[in-house]
Amino acid sequence: MPWYLFLALKQLFPTGRRFPFFTFISVVGVALGVALLVVVTSVMGGFGYEIRRMIVDTEGEIQIKSGGYINDHAGLLKKVESVPGVVAATPYAAGALMIEYHGKPAYPGMRGLDLATVEKVVQLSKYVRIGSLDDLDDDSVLLSSQLAQSIGASVGSKIEVYSPLMIERFKRDEVFMPREVRVAGIVEIGHQQLDSSTVYCTLRLAQDLYGLGSAVHGVNVRVREGMNEDEVAARLNAALPPGIRALSWMDSFSDFLWVLQLEKNMIFFLLIFIVIVAGFSVASSLLISVVRKTREIGLIGALGGKPLQVAACFCFQGLIIGVFGTLLGLGMGFVALTFRNDFVLLVTKITQRDEVLQRFYQFSQLPSHTAMSDILLIVVSSIFISMLAGLLPAWRAARLKPVEALRSE
Amino acid sequence: MLTARALCKTYLSGDRQIVVLNGVDLSVAAGESVSIRGESGSGKSTLLNLLSALDVPDGGEVIWDGKPSIGTQVRATYLGMVFQSFYLIPELDALQNVLMARRMVGRVGSAEKARARDLLAKVGLAERSHHLPSQLSGGERQRVAVARALMNSPQLILADEPTGNLDEKTGDAVIELLLGLCTEMKTALILVTHSAVHAAKTNRKTLLHEGKLHDVV
Repeated sequence: MPWYLFLALKQLFPTGRRFPFFTFISVVGVALGVALLVVVTSVMGGFGYEIRRMIVDTEGEIQIKSGGYINDHAGLLKKVESVPGVVAATPYAAGALMIEYHGKPAYPGMRGLDLATVEKVVQLSKYVRIGSLDDLDDDSVLLSSQLAQSIGASVGSKIEVYSPLMIERFKRDEVFMPREVRVAGIVEIGHQQLDSSTVYCTLRLAQDLYGLGSAVHGVNVRVREGMNEDEVAARLNAALPPGIRALSWMDSFSDFLWVLQLEKNMIFFLLIFIVIVAGFSVASSLLISVVRKTREIGLIGALGGKPLQVAACFCFQGLIIGVFGTLLGLGMGFVALTFRNDFVLLVTKITQRDEVLQRFYQFSQLPSHTAMSDILLIVVSSIFISMLAGLLPAWRAARLKPVEALRSE
Repeated sequence: MLTARALCKTYLSGDRQIVVLNGVDLSVAAGESVSIRGESGSGKSTLLNLLSALDVPDGGEVIWDGKPSIGTQVRATYLGMVFQSFYLIPELDALQNVLMARRMVGRVGSAEKARARDLLAKVGLAERSHHLPSQLSGGERQRVAVARALMNSPQLILADEPTGNLDEKTGDAVIELLLGLCTEMKTALILVTHSAVHAAKTNRKTLLHEGKLHDVV
């Protein structure tokens, strides 16, 4: 081991001293910044990841829509499924409804599913908490959990469904009676907006309620694992007839995802200042160390140490603090992420604000998704900042002349 | 082995020029011990700095084995240095402080560790090799510094008032040790001291006065 690295390690972790206080404080300063960055970027990443999961699990990676209705959806499905990268496709009808149960009205969104193909594209059955997707038929619906709770319906309840078609018929002096359907199951996706206002029914029932005949509103597409959604959407657009367009989930929610990414970048930018402040603290500690060790630096020069090697000794101290601080920070961050929900639960219990949290943040639990690229960026930034922090003291130390350093009081 | 010719050094103090060395000539043969005495501020330490190439003379030259100058690496192997204030590295124990001289010039293996232990035994600190400088007395610290100076088997040791911070008895013991080891290892010694008693023990006695070095009979 070169002497300057050996001396750097010994100055940070002196022989016989169990608790090197200066090193501890410097390492903890960097670690706190890194831990905070890991937690915040992971939670922000978690929001993005959960939104992707929610969209992909309920709508597939790609949505095909036209300006109005798609009449020949069987022919379209064949065409779509022949495009490379497409695993499966399922037609859907969607719109708004009014439902009523024991005089309690609600105005949820409706999603009509083709039971023969839906499970090949979206994984709705795994979110059915009570009942089963198999129990769904043309005279029944699945209610999202909070919607069912708000109107007091449960599995087996009979609810009345009013569609916008009634207004159309009413204009023609026709009476269109509300349709009575059975609640076949309760669905819980884990997203507040979807769980509070969605009715799932068969495609045929949706077509009846909207008077679509055999037409559909769109087609959901599942893409092969590992394939790029945008690439497959481009291939689909090349194959689809004019007026029908394929949009990846990222395109459909591009504004929202851009805002989310912007928030994440802003938070990273703000929080990196914690590491920069920790870097200043490391720099100031090392500068004090250079002043305190002026005579030792002179001795090293007298023993044959070159200025660059003296500089390397202090630069390495910054680097070592950075590496240890980053490792400790990563550990602290991952521990905090593991227990994040317990912590949130504790805080919301104390403040009695758990419902507010769920309503505001859409998710029943604090999401977390740690991207390797984020961790790499945090690690490189914090080690680089710590090393920079060692540069100024290193430069000061390298400039000291042995004769003057040895003579200093 | 070492020859200094017409060394001059001047310092500026405000507008005033202070001539510290004014044509110093000195030559040291291998294994020889030379003492330099002089009043405080007479330029003894400055002379040692010039001889060790830590400082540059304003005039004259220092010749090492026929070469006009020595680089840092060569200084580390040719020279051992002992200072008044010991200058041990506080984070390293006695053994590591001795080994530090070796680390500066190359790798430290088991042979080097054995030599460092042997040197510590020679200065009477075999049992204290793992003690930190803060756990050693002044005399013991200076003995560690002597062992460090001898670690690279130098041709010359420059000792700048090595007893200045020690009591008389401990100082005498350190000088005896230093002279004894230099004789045993055939290492030349330049000893800067205020003590006539210590100077008397060297082969050649000199006095630095008004910028010039005079032999004392």
